[in-house]
Parts: sequence; C-alpha cells; structure tokens
Amino acid sequence: MRLVAAELVESRQILPGQWLQSFHAPELASGSRAGQFVHVRTGDYSGLVLRRPFSINTADPATGIVTLHFRTVGRGTEWMARVREGENLDMLGPLGRPFEVDPRSHHLLLVAGGLGMAGIRMLADEAVRDGRQVTILFGALSASHVYPSNLLPDEVEYVVATDDGSLGHHSLVTELLPDYEAWADQAFACGPYPMLARLAQLAAGRRARMGVAKLGRKRGAGRADPLGSTAARRKAFLQVSMEQTMGCAVGACLGCSVIGVEGPVRVCREGPVFAAEEIAWPASA
Amino acid sequence: MVKAKKQVIIFGDMRVGKDSPNRSKRTPTVRKVKSAIVPVDRTKGPPAGRPRVETGGAAVADLGAPTAPQPTLAEQAALDRVDLSVDLAPEHGGLRLANPILVASGTFGYGIEYGEVVDVGRLGAICCKGTTLRPRAGNPPPRVTETPGGMLNSIGLQNPGVDAVIEKYGPIWQGWKVPVIVNVAGESIEDYVEVARRLDGVPGVAGIELNISCPNVGKGGLQFAIDRDAARAVTAAVRRATELPLLVKLSPNVADVRPIARAIEEAGADAISAINTLSGLAVAPDRTRAFLGNVYGGLSGPAIKPVALRIVYEVAQVVSIPIVAIGGVTSIEDVLDFLACGAVAVQVGTAIFADPELPVRLADDLRAECVRRGLDSYRPLIGTALPKRMGASSAKGAEYRP
Repeated sequence: MRLVAAELVESRQILPGQWLQSFHAPELASGSRAGQFVHVRTGDYSGLVLRRPFSINTADPATGIVTLHFRTVGRGTEWMARVREGENLDMLGPLGRPFEVDPRSHHLLLVAGGLGMAGIRMLADEAVRDGRQVTILFGALSASHVYPSNLLPDEVEYVVATDDGSLGHHSLVTELLPDYEAWADQAFACGPYPMLARLAQLAAGRRARMGVAKLGRKRGAGRADPLGSTAARRKAFLQVSMEQTMGCAVGACLGCSVIGVEGPVRVCREGPVFAAEEIAWPASA
Repeated sequence: MVKAKKQVIIFGDMRVGKDSPNRSKRTPTVRKVKSAIVPVDRTKGPPAGRPRVETGGAAVADLGAPTAPQPTLAEQAALDRVDLSVDLAPEHGGLRLANPILVASGTFGYGIEYGEVVDVGRLGAICCKGTTLRPRAGNPPPRVTETPGGMLNSIGLQNPGVDAVIEKYGPIWQGWKVPVIVNVAGESIEDYVEVARRLDGVPGVAGIELNISCPNVGKGGLQFAIDRDAARAVTAAVRRATELPLLVKLSPNVADVRPIARAIEEAGADAISAINTLSGLAVAPDRTRAFLGNVYGGLSGPAIKPVALRIVYEVAQVVSIPIVAIGGVTSIEDVLDFLACGAVAVQVGTAIFADPELPVRLADDLRAECVRRGLDSYRPLIGTALPKRMGASSAKGAEYRP
C-alpha cells in the first residue's frame, strides 16, 4: 500500500456512461494482483470528502499502465470522467486481498454482472498468462450494455446473457452457472449483491453433488484451513469480489464491513475477495 | 500429480506483531519539558503587521498539495526552535504530546492500519477506535455514506473488547513514542469504570478519552452526553477508577453544551474533546428506506466545522481545563481557527481518509506558521478570538457569572 500519483494517459467512453481510463503508475502496475483495488482521491475536497474505490481493471508491469473501468453514478465518478489526459490522480493502493487461484485449477469460470467485469477482468489476464482456460459469463441489462469483446484476451471464451434477451442468452447470468459447473475447477464472480448471493446459493454443496474427490496431500487431511485464510480461499470453488461503501479503505474505520459467518468482515482488508462460504448470505437469496 | 508449489503471500495486516516495521523503530525520546498550558495574554493578540495567511479557496484546494521545498539550515534551525509540545493532563502524571495535532477516534483504527503510509511517530497522539468492555459486532451495513462536505457513519462501536485490544495492540503501542489515547465507550457507568480499570497501568496506554455519546441503558437509553448529571456521574466514576489522564468527548447534539462541560470539569476530567459527530440521516436512492443500516449516522467532515467552532468557543469560556477541538479540520487555517477559539490541540478525523498524510503535514505547517509570526511557541495563538472582556456574551442574557 502506498500513495501514488497516477498520470491519466487515455480516457475513453467504452459504453454509455462507462469509462475506461489508463493511468501511468508503474508502482501500481507491478505490485498489483487481480482482485485488488485502488482508492482514488477526488479533486474537490470541499464537497467530496471520501476517496472512491475502484477495482484494478488491468495492470501491465511492462508499460507501467493500469486501467480503471467505471460508470458515472455520482459526483465523484463524473469528476473522474472529466479529468484530462496528463493530469495526475492521487491513488492509494494496491489495497485488499486478491483472488486466489488453486495451482491445480485449469478451467476458470469468471462470472461478471455489469460493472462487475472490472472486478474480474485482470484475473482473465493472469489466468491466460498462466496457461489456464477461461470462460467469462457476462450479464447485462441489454445488448447496448455488453462489454466489448475486443477488450478481452483472445484466448477467453465469452458468453453473454442479457436480461431482455437482446443479445446472447435471455436469462440472468446466474442461471448459466449450472451448465458450466462441471467444466469449471473454480469460479470467480463480481457483480451486484443479489447476483453474488444467488451464485453462492447455486455453488453451495457442489463438491458433494459433483462427487469431486478431495485432491492434494494426504498429510494434514482433516485439518481444515481457518476460514478466510489464503489456503482456504485457494481451495474454495467460488470466490466473490464484494462491493461496499468505503471510508478509509485500509481497515481503520470499519465502515465497509459486511456480515460474515464469523461476524463482520472488512471488504477493504479481509476482502474485497472472499470465499463464498465466508459470507452470511441472506437465506431468501 | 504435480505437487503445487507453495506460495507465500504476505499481507500488510498480518505482519503486525513481532516483525512489524514499527517495532524496530523504537527510539529513545527526548522531549522538551515545559509548563502546561500557559494562560493566554489576551491583551496582546497576534502581532500587528503580520497578517494571517489568506484563507478561502486556497485552504481547500491545497489539501495534499506538493510539499514545500526543503528549508535551508537556518530556516530549519528556526523551525526546530518552535515548541509545539503540550500537556493535556498536568495533574495526572501528564499527557505530553510532541505537537498538538492528534488523530481522531474511529478514523485511524489502532494506529497500525495506515502504518505503511503514515509515520505515526510524528503525530501528536493517536485516539484509537472506541473500545468497550465486551466485543461488539457493530451495526448492519451499509455504515458510511458521503454527504455534501462531509460523511455519515454508523459503525456501531465494532471492536474486539478491551481485553483483546490490550493484548493485541498494547505491546505495539508500547514500542511507539507517540502517546495512544484509548477511546472508551459503554452502556452503563459500570462498563466505563471496568474498562478504565483494565486500561489503568497497561504499558502503551497514555490516556483515556470517554465517548459519552452512548445510550445509558441504566437510564432508559438516554445518552450520557446530553444529560448533565449522567455526564458528571460517569466522569467522576471513571476518575476514581484510574489515574490515567482523562479526556471526555462532548456531543454537539444538545441545546446548551456549557453546563455539561462544566459538570465534566468539576467531576475531574483533565481535558475536554469537542465535538463528536452530529446526528444525521441519509435516504436510500430508491427512497423506500434510510440508507444506513442503522438508520441514523454521525455527520463529520468540513460540513460540521462551524458547529465545532461554536462549541469550542462556548466551552473555552466556561472551563479552564484544556480543550481538544475536533470537527472538519482539513488545513492549517482550520487548526488556527480552533486555536483562536480556545482549543489547545486539534484532532483530525474524516480528512485522513482522503489525505492520510494530512496530520503530519499540519504539525509542520503549524511550526512554519509560528516561525512566520516570530513565535517560539504556538501558545500565543490560543484563544485570540475569544471575547476580550469578561461577560461580553452575557449581553444577551445567555451567560451571567458573578
């Protein structure tokens, strides 16, 4: 974690109201992993007192470029969209814990709802680099909100579902999960809370249902890794990247807590990525 | 089957402990020992011909501006001569701070969270997250939201309980030269007393700040902070339980804060912190409910600075113990405003979220301001805006003291 002056080198609107901005920030580009985020300071402190958290969309250590993908939803993001190329933004990061991919996982299923693409986009890069097969299930309201496929690595299988059926499957993206459940070794998701809750519900009990044998060393079998540990997350089938309104983003203010099965957990510090079984999902989801 | 290579990933928050970078930095401290708060000579006022630096737009815009060029040796010597130290509790063993810029409770965790970004050794003191007798899970999310010029929070005093705090953070704090003031909350006088008793004598705990804006379960949920007798009772009870320096944090959500401040002083508090957050509410975007999980939240940030100034101004005229001001401090101008209204120190809170380095920079700015005014201490800056003649404010009948 450090404070970085990130220079905006390119800003473009990729979808209505959605922006993709590239920043030159070598410290962030080389030190970040998929799932981590940055906390960006807005320009007008007299009105906007809080930084804005953004998932690191992509990071390229070779060029020192990180990209952020966001939608203009309020005054902070509207200000971000107006920043000119050449201006520096004050970013705190990289923050939070990344996605944990089991080294034995060859088939990764990435599930994104809308802006959730920004949360899993970098994991696609990392997985392709490591020679894994990636399928992205993407859900959007309609065809006009679908993330452009040319912004994804060529190696990725891209499956789209729209709520109104104007492109791809006419369903919620969550309903595609059962089709891929057998193919996927691990699943990673980012999107609205109801989507994540539904995925967690669908994925629960998968190991037993699929008859997946426990792989790995015999030694230590039966000794479960503590919930929330890196080892436990690496073994989890479904990992979710959560979103919450945030204050400090370093774990000091406890403002971004969500309710986990063992009590409140901080999205900024224990998260934003959690194994699905760490979160106390509402029973009705 | 290929055996997976073992990956070791170290996270910042897991390294706290034996090998934390902060532990290795333990240095012997040499502090200037000076008398406590020197009463202000109100006849003088600030030196003429040295106008205050301009306020206004610049004060806001330069939050986080690039640091000034390095001072020359002579300038550095002048800066080093300035005495920023202050004692908030001269009667109870002293609570001596190297400078009057503190970080406010709830915005700086337990001091370790910002460790990699902020040099905690350069802070005046740290007020840690509110601590209760038993662990508390806090309020349902969402817990924070931004408002114009401020933010609402309703964390609900999530904390691991006083014993866990002492066990986990005490050894870390002990290795720091910066004093750590533990913010204490409770639902009954017995709770407060028990927490204070357990903190008494713990190495690394420099003082206690009482958060009395909690509902008093024993008195039907009425907040201690809005009831003069309850505020007096809890302060006196804690005072009897501990020899630690004792600060009491005032709530602004009262009609007149002065009787409460006086009661707290009479009950034996060493200093008063003012103010806690203002009670507020935000509505969810779909307008079917309140936004925060707890419905109500506490408003903080630049939006509340005028309220904080008013309360510091009022309290400074009725008590003689030191006042630590809190409320929307974002620049050196704000620090000077609070000092002028009678505060001897200020706490920075919400602004830390946007600018974690701000508190350290404010101490440097205050030092530079003293040099610019030809002062070797910041004490002449205290109370300059208070009424020059006693009883000036009693013209409206608001106050009469024989």
